[in-house]
Amino acid sequence: METRSVTDAAFEVLVERYSAEIYAYLWRLLRDPEQASDCLQDTYLRALRAFPRLRHRDHLRAWLYTIATHRARTLQREAARRSRRQEDLKDEIADPRPSVAKRVADREMLRRVLQAVDRLPEKQKQALILRRYQGLGYAEIAAVQGGSPAAARTNVHLAQERLKNWLQAEGAESRTPRRRSGA
Amino acid sequence: MSRVKGERGIGALSEVDAAYEAGPKAEWVTAAQARLQRTLAAEGPQVFYDYLPHSPVGRVGVAANERGVIALDIGLGERDFVDRLKRRTRAGVRRSADHVGTAIRQLEEYLSGARTSFDLPIDLSLTSAFQRQVLLAALAIPRGETRTYRQVARRIGRPKAARAVGQALGHNPLPIIIPCHRVLGSDGSLHGYSGGRGLATKAWLLQLEGARAPQLLNGISE
Repeated sequence: METRSVTDAAFEVLVERYSAEIYAYLWRLLRDPEQASDCLQDTYLRALRAFPRLRHRDHLRAWLYTIATHRARTLQREAARRSRRQEDLKDEIADPRPSVAKRVADREMLRRVLQAVDRLPEKQKQALILRRYQGLGYAEIAAVQGGSPAAARTNVHLAQERLKNWLQAEGAESRTPRRRSGA
Repeated sequence: MSRVKGERGIGALSEVDAAYEAGPKAEWVTAAQARLQRTLAAEGPQVFYDYLPHSPVGRVGVAANERGVIALDIGLGERDFVDRLKRRTRAGVRRSADHVGTAIRQLEEYLSGARTSFDLPIDLSLTSAFQRQVLLAALAIPRGETRTYRQVARRIGRPKAARAVGQALGHNPLPIIIPCHRVLGSDGSLHGYSGGRGLATKAWLLQLEGARAPQLLNGISE
């Protein structure tokens, strides 16, 4: 009589399969390992409570992303109310590829990138991260954000165009002298 | 997790990719996942129970999760009941009269004769597919009537499985609510009952329900 309930086993699969990926997503949204961890706990606790009542179990990955997105947004708004902490960026980059690392070795550049991404409208930032770094398709992003796949595609496109423009504009001002000093 | 190829503007976004593509450090991921395991173990699925030390059939524990009543035990001490529940459900177990109030009230009414049937959601996830079939067949036996193990076996399309039916009923997780006491031996003998005071409890329940089985109380002494 040690039969495990069906719900437990199915939920464990969700933890095994997606928790690393969801954590990575939360870290990319929040850029803070501790906050991302808090949010991961929160996401899975909510998922656990809702799981037995969940009718359609076909899109569990997108479902988890949806919860994670909501939790991150709530947490960010609460944090924003308390204070804006953008200063402390130590240890923010995890093992970037060496060739690319050179380009962002400068913390100023990293700060500018993160600030630029944070300046994006919420949905554009989420869509960009989901598509470009989490590998979701537009249909999945639409399921997560509650829009159409076409809207998701537009959001990703707009995000990329904006970032390109902002960073090129800023880079033109600051890049030249730094490169020389590093050579 | 590699970045998507073929998107426009990738070249100009190399700084963004450098900041985002590699993702969090492996040790952060590991730490967050380990914490998650602890969080879920502490929270986990929840089972709530309440305990009646002095019902007409003796000590009774009733447990329910969010889907329905999952266990009823007759005769166990509260501590044993909780331990058994933890072992079987692997869930967090908490006493909460609120969560099982309806089940307890209906049980008390039933045992006092004020109620003739139960109207409760039940959760049979602790049982095997075969056992579930048997239990659902037992659930269909009307109050005041009895069936034999063989009849139940035939009813579920397994005419030769009378012994297995007996086993399945013997492990009924919801005695009284699922009336396994209405199933008797082919000779009309009570045969067996694992809850409370065994056969005496089975006979008491059948009497309460006014079951007609003349040889019902033969050989029962207290």
